[in-house]
Amino acid sequence: MKYITTIGEREFVIEVIDEENIVVDGVACKVNFESVSGEPLYSMLIDGQSHEAYVYEDDDGWEVLLQGSLYPATVVDEREHRLRSAFGSGPVQGGEFYLKAPMPGLVVAIPVEDGQEVEEGDVLIILESMKMQNELKSPRAGTIARIRVGIGDNVERRQTILSVV
Amino acid sequence: MFNKVLIANRGEIAVRILRACRELGLETVAVYSDADRKALHVRYADEAYLLGPAPSRDSYLRGDKIIEIAKKSGASAIHPGYGFLAERADFAQAVIDEGIAFIGPKPSSIAAMGDKGVARATVTAAGVPVVPGTEAEGALSDEDLLKIAPEIGFPLLIKATAGGGGKGMREVNYLEEMPELLASARREAESAFGDGNVYLEKLVEGARHIEFQILADTHGNVIHLGERECSLQRRHQKLLEESPSPFVDEELRQKMGEVAVRAAQSVEYVNAGTIEFLVDSEKNFYFLEMNTRLQVEHPITEAVTGVDIVKEQIRIARGRTLSHKQGEIQMNGWAIECRVNAEDPYSNFMPSTGYISHVLLPTGPGVRVDTGVYPGFEISPYYDSLISKLIVFGETRAEVILRMRRALEEYKIVGVRTNIPFHQSMMDSHRFMAGQFDTQFVEKRFSMEKTRKGQEAHPHIAAILATLVAHQHTQRSAHVIQRNERDTSNWKWMGRWERIHR
Repeated sequence: MKYITTIGEREFVIEVIDEENIVVDGVACKVNFESVSGEPLYSMLIDGQSHEAYVYEDDDGWEVLLQGSLYPATVVDEREHRLRSAFGSGPVQGGEFYLKAPMPGLVVAIPVEDGQEVEEGDVLIILESMKMQNELKSPRAGTIARIRVGIGDNVERRQTILSVV
Repeated sequence: MFNKVLIANRGEIAVRILRACRELGLETVAVYSDADRKALHVRYADEAYLLGPAPSRDSYLRGDKIIEIAKKSGASAIHPGYGFLAERADFAQAVIDEGIAFIGPKPSSIAAMGDKGVARATVTAAGVPVVPGTEAEGALSDEDLLKIAPEIGFPLLIKATAGGGGKGMREVNYLEEMPELLASARREAESAFGDGNVYLEKLVEGARHIEFQILADTHGNVIHLGERECSLQRRHQKLLEESPSPFVDEELRQKMGEVAVRAAQSVEYVNAGTIEFLVDSEKNFYFLEMNTRLQVEHPITEAVTGVDIVKEQIRIARGRTLSHKQGEIQMNGWAIECRVNAEDPYSNFMPSTGYISHVLLPTGPGVRVDTGVYPGFEISPYYDSLISKLIVFGETRAEVILRMRRALEEYKIVGVRTNIPFHQSMMDSHRFMAGQFDTQFVEKRFSMEKTRKGQEAHPHIAAILATLVAHQHTQRSAHVIQRNERDTSNWKWMGRWERIHR
């Protein structure tokens, strides 16, 4: 299977032939790839070079944490890549943004109210977790809709707090 | 003389104190909350008793219950660690009133240094320089503070009267933004300490935060163990400390050490404590505050002086004289501590909670790890985010930086995101290597992206790794679809099924 993997501005064409052989931008390499001590920690030997990294899956791709550097990556197979380049790509702008709690915590303050207009970067909620107050900000301009929590509520990780439409 | 010690704390510091007790042949009593039944300090102690529900106010802040447990278990001394009840004069007094030894300073010293206004007035009287501010003026209203602010001059700091650790602290650059910052500082101070009072202090620009470790016994001996450089902070939380400081020469060390000893003597200090100073680029130094307890970063001082500070604390509490005189204290080599926090440096240091599934600790020459977590332990949102302290020591600063890089790369923690990549970037920062930084460095002049420039990066390796993991996931999904042919165990199959349906 052939994949097109993008890191920053750079695109790599990587073909996985079998468990031990891959072709990277036309160059054949021997690999030995293992999950060590459970996911998401991986060890890879590539032509004798040993590398270890965390590979996390996130909403729009992968994150590789390698030797203290984080590389956000997208991986699409050849067919998908062709479709995307034919129909244009990129996440659709607009639509509803759901603010989700990035960690469990206590709602300390909600400086916005339903129907209020907000700008990108405005503080939507202050969550206290691990003895720290964390400001969650709006990723874009819009109108506040459906505030689902109140001050003093405990929220779970990934719980939807409010929407920006 | 006591032979059973109750440790009124949790996490790495409870484990640290337990170790000192174990080495001294003292019996140990741990206390824990519902969230900490499986914590390391509970497992290591000779005895352990439940305090209550997870939130601190229902567990580790319940001084009454802790004293009750001490009496019931026959513990004749209490070590408070840091945080929680460590700097509460009323708790220390209540402990003493029950005839239990408090392994720490006298309640009167805690009270004097705990109220920052009183602390500043006291040390000023002893001839110790302080930073200009609304020091000993007590609780002032917003109106008064806004009036005084221009006299002190901007930039200035709003600080919580009952505070510590940067909680309730705000930097103000001009008068117009002050009302809003006062409100948020008071709110944070109220929630952290139950006291919303704040005061103002001039912000010394280009300042370094350098502190001195003090030891004092009940026989009037007071010594210092040299300095710790603590300038690398974010939101006034220390992230990385080193000893000695690359900025301090022998002359400055002597001068500051003497002043630190004098500051401790001004409140008749006993046991271990720390005098924090701000030092400007001209090497003028100002008293900031005294921490009347064991400090998080005490191990770097232990590494360079060879003195076991926790064992000294116990020795002092037992009424013995200090093991060393000032003339015998020498700083040898260099030590750096990185605080490993459950925080994601790539998303604005957001706390990360979760179940630790795997830990691979760095070891080898010159490496010490103080931690309270292990695989199978859950990092909960109830307590601070410190997972462990990685302390590295060696002959020279250069050797220690290279050793720290090596140790950080070895350290693997699976289950929560950590700030290890932040420390790795710091170890690669040219300004850090040159020792050119101040308390503003992390927030204003340091970026996770920029430091690696010029270093060899591995985008192609990252690309291959991402592709192989993505490929594996695709294969698994395909495998699950042909489930009548499945050849693996049901458990494995369930795991895969859950993975694609989550």
